[in-house]
Amino acid sequence: MRFVLQRVGQLVMVLFAVTVITFASVNVLGDPLTNILGPLARVDCTDVYAGIKPDTSTRGGTSEGDCAIIAETRKEFNLDSPLPVRYARWVGDISTGDFGTSFQNQLPVSTVLKNKLPVTLRLVGIGLFFSLALSIPWALLSAYRAERTFDNFSTVASFGLLAIPNFAMGVILLYLFAVRWSFFPTRYEPAGIYNQLKSLFLPGLTLALPLAATYQRLLRTDLITTLQEDFVHMARAKGMPAHTIMTRHALRPSMFSVITVFGINTGALLGGTLVIERIFSIPGLGTEIVTAIVRDDTPVVLGIVVIIVTGFVVVNLFVDLMYSFLDPRVRRG
Amino acid sequence: MAEPLLSVKDLCVRFPTERGVVQAVNGVSFDLEQGATLGIVGESGSGKSVTAKTLMNLLPRSAEVDGSVVFDGRDVRALAKSHENHFWGVQMTMVFQDPMTSLNPVKRCGEQIAETLRYHLGHKKKQAIAEAVELLGQVGVPEPAKRVRQYPHELSGGLRQRVVIAMALACQPRLLIADEPTTAVDVTVQKLLLDLLDDLRRDRGMSMILITHDLGVARGRCDEVAVMYAGRIVERAGTETLFTDSRHPYTDALLRSIPRIDQPSHTRLDPIPGRPPDMTGLLPRCAYAPRCRYAQADCLTAIPELGGIVGLHSFACFHPANTERGEAALTANLDAGETAAGLRIHPIVEGAH
Repeated sequence: MRFVLQRVGQLVMVLFAVTVITFASVNVLGDPLTNILGPLARVDCTDVYAGIKPDTSTRGGTSEGDCAIIAETRKEFNLDSPLPVRYARWVGDISTGDFGTSFQNQLPVSTVLKNKLPVTLRLVGIGLFFSLALSIPWALLSAYRAERTFDNFSTVASFGLLAIPNFAMGVILLYLFAVRWSFFPTRYEPAGIYNQLKSLFLPGLTLALPLAATYQRLLRTDLITTLQEDFVHMARAKGMPAHTIMTRHALRPSMFSVITVFGINTGALLGGTLVIERIFSIPGLGTEIVTAIVRDDTPVVLGIVVIIVTGFVVVNLFVDLMYSFLDPRVRRG
Repeated sequence: MAEPLLSVKDLCVRFPTERGVVQAVNGVSFDLEQGATLGIVGESGSGKSVTAKTLMNLLPRSAEVDGSVVFDGRDVRALAKSHENHFWGVQMTMVFQDPMTSLNPVKRCGEQIAETLRYHLGHKKKQAIAEAVELLGQVGVPEPAKRVRQYPHELSGGLRQRVVIAMALACQPRLLIADEPTTAVDVTVQKLLLDLLDDLRRDRGMSMILITHDLGVARGRCDEVAVMYAGRIVERAGTETLFTDSRHPYTDALLRSIPRIDQPSHTRLDPIPGRPPDMTGLLPRCAYAPRCRYAQADCLTAIPELGGIVGLHSFACFHPANTERGEAALTANLDAGETAAGLRIHPIVEGAH
């Protein structure tokens, strides 16, 4: 239990550090006022505030002066408060579920997240599921007959999968299974869980294949090492059949590298689904964050970063807990 | 005499490697009666563990095996090819050297014993665990009901080896191969474990092959001892005969190199000069000749076969120690100051400091 609390504490620190850095960089490196108001923010108001010049509007159709708008905006977004105060305010808002409002379309960021996040989570979930479901049996088979035909063929196949860029893989799969043979829809169909899963099958597979190849390489190597262990010989001397030895004895102690890399990859995956989302026309988080960055939509960028970091942190907490599940010796630590 | 339980004939094992073919076992033959104990003694690389692994079908796939192994009328090497499911672990089983590594670190001790019972005897889980508790009690593990739920890292080395023994004995095997079962544990625990193995063997009428590099371990616990050198059995005799009336110069030298309680203190031990031969390029000669005080010209041109009275006392030597022929060879070498293989030798001064 102390172990779990310690891990949770560490992860809160990670969340804190990443949000501070992101919050500071979008506020310091870019000018938030420009991000909100556009060219209007560049109007020089020094003389107006000093009462030397009248406040006039440079935009048609409004009687409100430019400098009044600027002053209002500064107040609304707390731009005159020091950065730490603004950060604290922002964290406070987030903890109540208020991520702010998008500069682009005036929608609450939480609505944007609510619309886009589930799709991406499903996509990533399916991808991760496929990557493990493919790589574990694959690694077991190649390690069991290491350096033989199947294993040698697997080595070529896995390097092939790693070498093909995922946009190429996505286009190939899309063309073959959606366009040519029409097994799957060509675009995302949001109606009903069955349609969703069906339209996420190919993109999930595209995400999973290079990951599966990586995990297969790692797990195969660790399995081959584990199979040299005395306890594997002992299991054979007890007359245990090969499949029992592979799955019940060798697999669990060999999972460490795979689980570690799995945790690291998952974080990258949450924010890195852009290409897949574009190819398969999925309205997900990946597309959203790139659009938001290009358009300096700070609240949306920050909101998505918080979600991704939280996801990364939670997955890695899960990985840490997996270590102690995999090896009882870790539990004492 | 009845059929022996285990009969090994002309067993040869070779491992092709990049440095050449390692000739690990070169024509080993022996029989083992039901209920008997055979000690196999030899230094590292003498082929004793490879012999055991061959019997247990644990060799890597690259190994090339020749010869026959018959267990109770069944051809063991054919069983290996036919993926026989209930032979190893049921008829024949093995205990390994290091109890720290021969238990799976991520499985509870009870589970590891129970899975054998469940697989071979079809026990239900509860019944298997209950039997595991029973077995742990039999091998002298205190609080067995608690131990079955513990992981190996929670037990001491001696306890772990007892768990390994319980695991090996779960299905009442007829032959137990113990490969240096006490090398990795404390000396105080060694004797306890060896006595335990001895008792269990007697109670169950089980046969045992006790592999060790420690002659003292073999003495008193084996009916017969076979001494291996460079992949061959060089001498085989009843245990007492071997210890009191050894014939092969290697056995003789081994016995001289261990301290005895009846020697005066500070007696210098006689180490065996040189080192074991490179197993990739064995020449057609006695493999021990370069280190042997008795070596003559004929030792360098032919391999001595295992002769003498087979079943009683056999040895593979042209000039056996403690015989006239051997003493003549030794005297001639001492006079010349070196053996036919060019080893410089001096008389052994008994009791010298």
